[in-house]
Amino acid sequence: MQVSARHQKHRLATLVGFLPLIIFLALLLYVGLNAPNFMTVVNLKLVLAQSLPVVLSVIGLSAVVMAGGDDVVSGGIDLSTPATAVLCAGIVSVMTTAGQPLLIAAGASLIACMLVGVVNAVLITRLRMAPLLATLAMFVAVVGINNVITARKRLNLAAESIASLRQDFVFGIPLGILLVAVLALLAYHFLHRSKWGLNLQAAGGSRDAAEISGIRVDRLVAQTYLLAAFMGFVTGFFMLARANGYSPGAQDNLMLEMVLATFLGAAFSPRRIVTVWGAILGAVLVAAISIGLKTIGVNVFWTDLIKGALIVIVVALSAISERVQ
Amino acid sequence: MKTLFAATSTILALGLSPAFADNTLSLEGKTIGVAVVGTQHFWDREAFNGATSMVEELGGTVVPVDGGRDNQVHADNHDVLMNRGVDAVISILGDGSVEPKFEALQAANIPVFAVDHPSPYAVNNTTSDNYYMGTTIGRYMADAIGGEGKVAVFNAFENSLRICGIRTGLWKYVLQDYPNIEIIQPELAEEFANAPEDARRQTLDLLSQYPEGTIDAIHVGCWDQPAIGVVQALEEAGRTDIVVTALDGGPETLEIMAEDDSPFVANVAQQPRLIGQTAAENVARYFAGETLLPQTYVDVIPVYGQDGAKAAYSKLGYGEIE
Repeated sequence: MQVSARHQKHRLATLVGFLPLIIFLALLLYVGLNAPNFMTVVNLKLVLAQSLPVVLSVIGLSAVVMAGGDDVVSGGIDLSTPATAVLCAGIVSVMTTAGQPLLIAAGASLIACMLVGVVNAVLITRLRMAPLLATLAMFVAVVGINNVITARKRLNLAAESIASLRQDFVFGIPLGILLVAVLALLAYHFLHRSKWGLNLQAAGGSRDAAEISGIRVDRLVAQTYLLAAFMGFVTGFFMLARANGYSPGAQDNLMLEMVLATFLGAAFSPRRIVTVWGAILGAVLVAAISIGLKTIGVNVFWTDLIKGALIVIVVALSAISERVQ
Repeated sequence: MKTLFAATSTILALGLSPAFADNTLSLEGKTIGVAVVGTQHFWDREAFNGATSMVEELGGTVVPVDGGRDNQVHADNHDVLMNRGVDAVISILGDGSVEPKFEALQAANIPVFAVDHPSPYAVNNTTSDNYYMGTTIGRYMADAIGGEGKVAVFNAFENSLRICGIRTGLWKYVLQDYPNIEIIQPELAEEFANAPEDARRQTLDLLSQYPEGTIDAIHVGCWDQPAIGVVQALEEAGRTDIVVTALDGGPETLEIMAEDDSPFVANVAQQPRLIGQTAAENVARYFAGETLLPQTYVDVIPVYGQDGAKAAYSKLGYGEIE
């Protein structure tokens, strides 16, 4: 009797576990049937193209969460990545506008971005600051530095070659999408298939157990913050291409979408853990739903409420299913 | 009815053909995308509501998109409209991010009707008379400080938004004739989102840098949302002897101007709802085969002092201030 009850409970948990994904897919289907041109290749390209900055930044964030553990408060998190991305965009814009070659500007912004990563790593692994607070503080500080550098002004794209990330095609596939796909595959390989990645997951799963088995956890954690900073650097170029220059204030929306996509991704995964694929799927699905709601012509004053409610439902279901299990 | 009358009178004032008077315009069977950079601020929301309500009034279907005050999202929204397949796009505000999107829409034979964003890829741009706004606020501010003194200016958008280039550029042009007015360097740059709170903080910093008697006016070069925060900061610091001037004149800033002893003394009020409506009517005129001029100007109302604010508030239909 007891066994069958447990069995039923398990089945229920599995069902609830799949609900987030089912809800998202059902909504997409609804949008697809009601919105003109939604289920087309062109729209798929659009969804992917618009999700690129988020996809890039969630690669960094999911690595950090995997190594530091997925407790939102005490685990690994890097909220500074969006600020690093706009710092890269800001430095590149200011320098190329001033007539510097793109390569020099890119080099300078790479150094600046990696410096952000180093400071994050030191604050978290040496000073033992809570990652949530340390990286939130860094977010504010880096945005501040960027405001000084750019004087908070819009700067049009001075290095035309960056626009190829937006408009060029390779074998009929948009160059930007292709590059991000390659980066995503590489990230998947290193984070989920390599020894380094397995150590990372072990560290995030149980820090003590990992240390006992000889894994240098602090070093790994520090490396993930450097990776996140590097992804911020890459994201910066895609943001420049997307906005045809530097537009102040893009970090806030990116931060929100990055965090949402990463933890939504966990809700989609059967074991409720943050993975690169989950995070990327989360980023793409959020973009798809957003575009879908716009395409149907939903009242703009309702869009945020609908998106917010959807996310709360998905995350709540994920929490319920974990408790049932 | 009142707004309809106002719209009609503007059209007549613009000297357009009476054959295309309001009742013959139609957007029946047309789907019009309306993209706005944000809906948090009165101006943006009113222009957006004006455009969407007029499209619907003319029988068209609206596909609305909102950038949430993020210029990149606003630009991306144009791609969504293009893919959705609309007959025309009304695009309200936006910085250089939208240019490639306008170009793509034009290439796809979807006409773009801009609001406050002149562009070579748009059929037409509906906007206030920015030239008059810039020179008027320059004269008013100079008068308010007796033709001499030190002025701080919030000027984040002079180089990035053409409308702001006109407004702030002409404000500076007027000040050339006042050699005793000095613009404090470096100029201040306000945030695009959360402008009032950001301007409040920046003004408090400015006031601690410039003790009493060393600063005479604070001007906001292109709009007046930051001025809300500027006035708050002046009141907090007890420095309401400093004069505040700005542009746009929505109800919330006219109310501040109408308070007793308000430091906010001059403004030039726009008619954002009428601007949005006019843009929608321009779409209908275009589909009716009429050739549009590149720019359609909508009248502005200069506002000076407490009584002026009360009068403008009533004239613009926002109600009565006692």
